[in-house]
Amino acid sequence: MNKRLLLILVAVVALAIGASAQSRKAVRINEVVVENTPEGIADEYGAHPAWIELFNSNFAPIEISSIFITTDPAHKVLYPVPLGDVNTKIPRRQHIIFWADNEPCKGTFHTNFTLTPGKDNYIAILDADSSLIDEVTVPATILPGQSWARTKDGSGEWKLRDGEGDRYITPSSANVIKDTNENIKDFAEKDAHGFGMAIMAMSIVFSALLVLCLSFYGIGKIGSLIARINKARSESTADNTISVVDVSHDTGEEIAAIVMALHEHLDAHDSENTILTINKVKRAYSPWSSKIYSLREVPQRNVRH
Amino acid sequence: MEFDFLSKNLGRFWELTGFANAEWGNIIMILVGLFFIWLAIKKNFEPMLLVPIGFGILIGNIPFNTAAGLEIGIYEEGSVLNILYNGVSAGWYPPLIFLGIGAMTDFSALIANPKLMLIGAAAQFGIFGAYMVALAIGFAPDQAGAIAIIGGADGPTAIFLSSKLAPNLMGAIAVSAYSYMALVPVIQPPLMRLFTTKKERLIKMKPARAVSQNEKIIFPIVGLLLTCFVVPSGIPLLGMLFFGNLLRECGVTNRLAKTASNALTDIITILLGMTVGASTQASQFLTPQTIFIFFLGFMAFVIASSSGVLFVKLFNLVLPKSKKINPLIGNAGVSAVPMSARISNNLGLEYDPSNYLLMHAMGPNVAGVIGSAVAAGVLLGFLA
Repeated sequence: MNKRLLLILVAVVALAIGASAQSRKAVRINEVVVENTPEGIADEYGAHPAWIELFNSNFAPIEISSIFITTDPAHKVLYPVPLGDVNTKIPRRQHIIFWADNEPCKGTFHTNFTLTPGKDNYIAILDADSSLIDEVTVPATILPGQSWARTKDGSGEWKLRDGEGDRYITPSSANVIKDTNENIKDFAEKDAHGFGMAIMAMSIVFSALLVLCLSFYGIGKIGSLIARINKARSESTADNTISVVDVSHDTGEEIAAIVMALHEHLDAHDSENTILTINKVKRAYSPWSSKIYSLREVPQRNVRH
Repeated sequence: MEFDFLSKNLGRFWELTGFANAEWGNIIMILVGLFFIWLAIKKNFEPMLLVPIGFGILIGNIPFNTAAGLEIGIYEEGSVLNILYNGVSAGWYPPLIFLGIGAMTDFSALIANPKLMLIGAAAQFGIFGAYMVALAIGFAPDQAGAIAIIGGADGPTAIFLSSKLAPNLMGAIAVSAYSYMALVPVIQPPLMRLFTTKKERLIKMKPARAVSQNEKIIFPIVGLLLTCFVVPSGIPLLGMLFFGNLLRECGVTNRLAKTASNALTDIITILLGMTVGASTQASQFLTPQTIFIFFLGFMAFVIASSSGVLFVKLFNLVLPKSKKINPLIGNAGVSAVPMSARISNNLGLEYDPSNYLLMHAMGPNVAGVIGSAVAAGVLLGFLA
């Protein structure tokens, strides 16, 4: 393999690693309950510990094993998400809950720390190389059963949710629950006849093709200008040649001599390949490729009369 | 051996056969499939599409006991047909077809005369005209958008968009799009005659200028950047279209261009056609909605072809006399490549045996491919 190919391969691998690392940066802390209540969500053992919801804001699954979750800025690698659990792969735009119960022996999603009610709780997630992915500080004022959540999944402001009205607590589901597609609803209500869509869409289609059309007018003009300049240049060169050299009186020998001189002068001969490679041509015998086993002639006895 | 044992097992086997599970819907769809195959073989209507689709309809409508859990149906997860259908349902066959289209399309006619791109844009009114009719009939905006794209006369685009906006209607939309594409020679000529005068049909257009290799290389790059910056949701289709074209024109990837335009396109066409056909299971396909979709598809084709021709007439009002465009190439703005361009040429020759319009019509024809992909991107952007 030559060096160039090797370099390309290394670049591709580096890009792939970079892309994978990039994708883990899309994990977000999405909602936190510091003090869970019996009315709140229970873990698989029926207990009601504090929980931290993570959200994959990517449109592709993310494997989160080996990232760290911490509540201590000074101790970044507090809880490493264990390797080898298939459930640590968060599907695209989905959520996952970690129980902050200080009982990691209960399973992958039970951390080795708890959250402290009545105090500010710092929570951070860090990549395997300890680089920060996301962090939040849940205020001390949060009451039992209340959550500290983003207004939109993976983005937006952090707000207190107490379960009243639209401030519902949403463990392991979207922070904004949509029952309809807003775009479609909007079009159905405000553009019932489709005129708006027709006008907007046709304007966009026309604009896109008009821009392309104008660009190629420009490119065509530049191209023909360059062609004209090149033509004019070649014509002037041809004129000069004709005015200086009159080939009608030259013999073939003279022309050959001129060509040879130019050839020597410009050192234009091919560089000869001085490496001689001798490869042994070996034809391995195999009954699979043997003609004697594949010929389908019926043997005939020569009969002499 | 007991008679009961034999009769019980034979009875169970009978319950698995197509005869025991057949319904009228299956028989009707099998007849539709046979009709498609007949159209393709006997009438030579788009045989490359209608044979796989027709045979796919036969495959998809052989009745079987769905409760038996044999994992053979196209909608049963994990079945072979279901795996092949993923290219349609997840929408990755159409971009691969576009790669092939790009690799086999010569955009010279368009580059030489860029104003023809506007005809390709005007013909997309078929899509949005059909969208308005679909809304009036009572379809929801996303369904109307998916149905209306039939007016783009581009099967892969129709499949791509319907898989995103209305997956439940995809079978009917795809079959409708391909059926009308096959019927372009029947639908377009009467409209072209209706909207043009004899004098207009005789307009002779100047031969297109020669296009340099550099321009051909620049076209897919600039085309991609400009169109996708305007409509990023068109990236899957436009990206592959222009990529295929760059493979063709750059001159150093002939082997890749050859594979994309031949082997790859053929493989995807076979799989796409067959699985789209198989997706038209009677229970999913034979609904009143399908009749409306076919009606809307027809409307979309009529509006698209007419608006292309009428736009050229309008355009001629502002063009100098020496640069007038023959309105017979307006129909080619729908992207049924190269069928609609051929129709322009044939109709032109009918009125003037020395008036060859094919190369002029190829301009709007390939612009139609770009236009319909942009339109699909717009609909996806607005309604997804």
